[in-house]
Amino acid sequence: MNEYLNRGIKEIITEFPEIEGILNDYEIGCGPCSVGTCLLKDIVTIHRLTEGQEQELMARIAKAIHPDKDIKIPEIEKRTEVKPKEFRYAPPIKKLVDEHVLIKRWIALIPQVVDYCDVKTEEGRQLILDGVDLIRSYADKFHHAKEEDILFKYFDENSDIIKVMREDHTRARAYVKAVLDALDRGDETAISENLMAYREFLTEHIKKEDEILYPWMDNNLSTTQVGKLYSQFEKADKEIGFSPEKYEHFIIKLEEKFKQKEK
Amino acid sequence: MTQFEGCPGSRVMNFEEQDGNDADQSVGKIKSQLGQWPIQMHLISPTAPYYQGADVLLTADCVAYALGDFHREYLKGKSIAIACPKLDAEQDIYQEKIKAWFDDAKINTLTVLIMQVPCCMGLMNLVQQAAQSAERKVPTKCVVVGVQGDILQEEWV
Repeated sequence: MNEYLNRGIKEIITEFPEIEGILNDYEIGCGPCSVGTCLLKDIVTIHRLTEGQEQELMARIAKAIHPDKDIKIPEIEKRTEVKPKEFRYAPPIKKLVDEHVLIKRWIALIPQVVDYCDVKTEEGRQLILDGVDLIRSYADKFHHAKEEDILFKYFDENSDIIKVMREDHTRARAYVKAVLDALDRGDETAISENLMAYREFLTEHIKKEDEILYPWMDNNLSTTQVGKLYSQFEKADKEIGFSPEKYEHFIIKLEEKFKQKEK
Repeated sequence: MTQFEGCPGSRVMNFEEQDGNDADQSVGKIKSQLGQWPIQMHLISPTAPYYQGADVLLTADCVAYALGDFHREYLKGKSIAIACPKLDAEQDIYQEKIKAWFDDAKINTLTVLIMQVPCCMGLMNLVQQAAQSAERKVPTKCVVVGVQGDILQEEWV
């Protein structure tokens, strides 16, 4: 049935004339149209039928196409143009929001990392080093650098909101440095305290960006700026010198490891 | 058979003086913002100088008539091509030209303006297919215009 959703209505009516009458019953007048290139799925969506009517219409069309079969009616994705405007980030801002997802997954794992971590073992030390590498490379060099070196320059860098964001990044770096210093001393308590403080701090920082900074910036970027910003982000990502997927794999492995430990 | 009003794409509607308010009409001549020729999708070259690195509008034919402020709000500062996904022939050529905008002309952004009628969605589908086959990604916005010139949707896709 899915293939018919993506076919022109005239073609379908020519093949199955009964469908013209079925559409008429729902006040969908495709029959007299001399062109008929509209797709069946678009026609069903645009006429704003109730869910029940849509199911009934689709069931009748399915029966006309396959009279001998019991057809499962596919759901038609609702088009958004007839609804009030929904907020969707411009592509470069969406890229930053998406990058937050991996950072938030790391943040969510920190309490387990702290519980599990034994820095007297090589494995324990490596876990902290890998976590710090994710923060420094992915969160800072890959993500924060795009904000500081590119995005913020589209706005007044002396504005309070940008200053606060820059200070947040500096503070986050200080927590990470403290973790590494503590690791050198073998001070597990300090490692835990700084990682947990980083977690709490960055959670708030990401919340501020997702809920305040990014929507505000998104609203204030012109179409031309969105295009330029996107190209600059693409260039920066290509020049970063490492694959961000590496960090996604690290998180996936860590999530699986802790999941197994919980069992 | 029930009474119905036909396809929304060709249904007869009359909006004349529906609100009786013309207070916001501009006075005097309004300058055209069109900065190029040709504009029809079959006639344009996708690598023409005015498309290089440009913010491009791909507009369904009817849009400029429905949208009162088309020149000032949308066309200003942009390059354009127009097409009708319902009536135009050989639309596979359109798809190739859109792909060439992405990969060869390296356009900055693409804004697709379509009417709310279902046949117009074909233009957006063409763009999506071209975008999938292109090597380069370009921020693309879809604007859906109502038959009385209201903006029903404007969002990045």
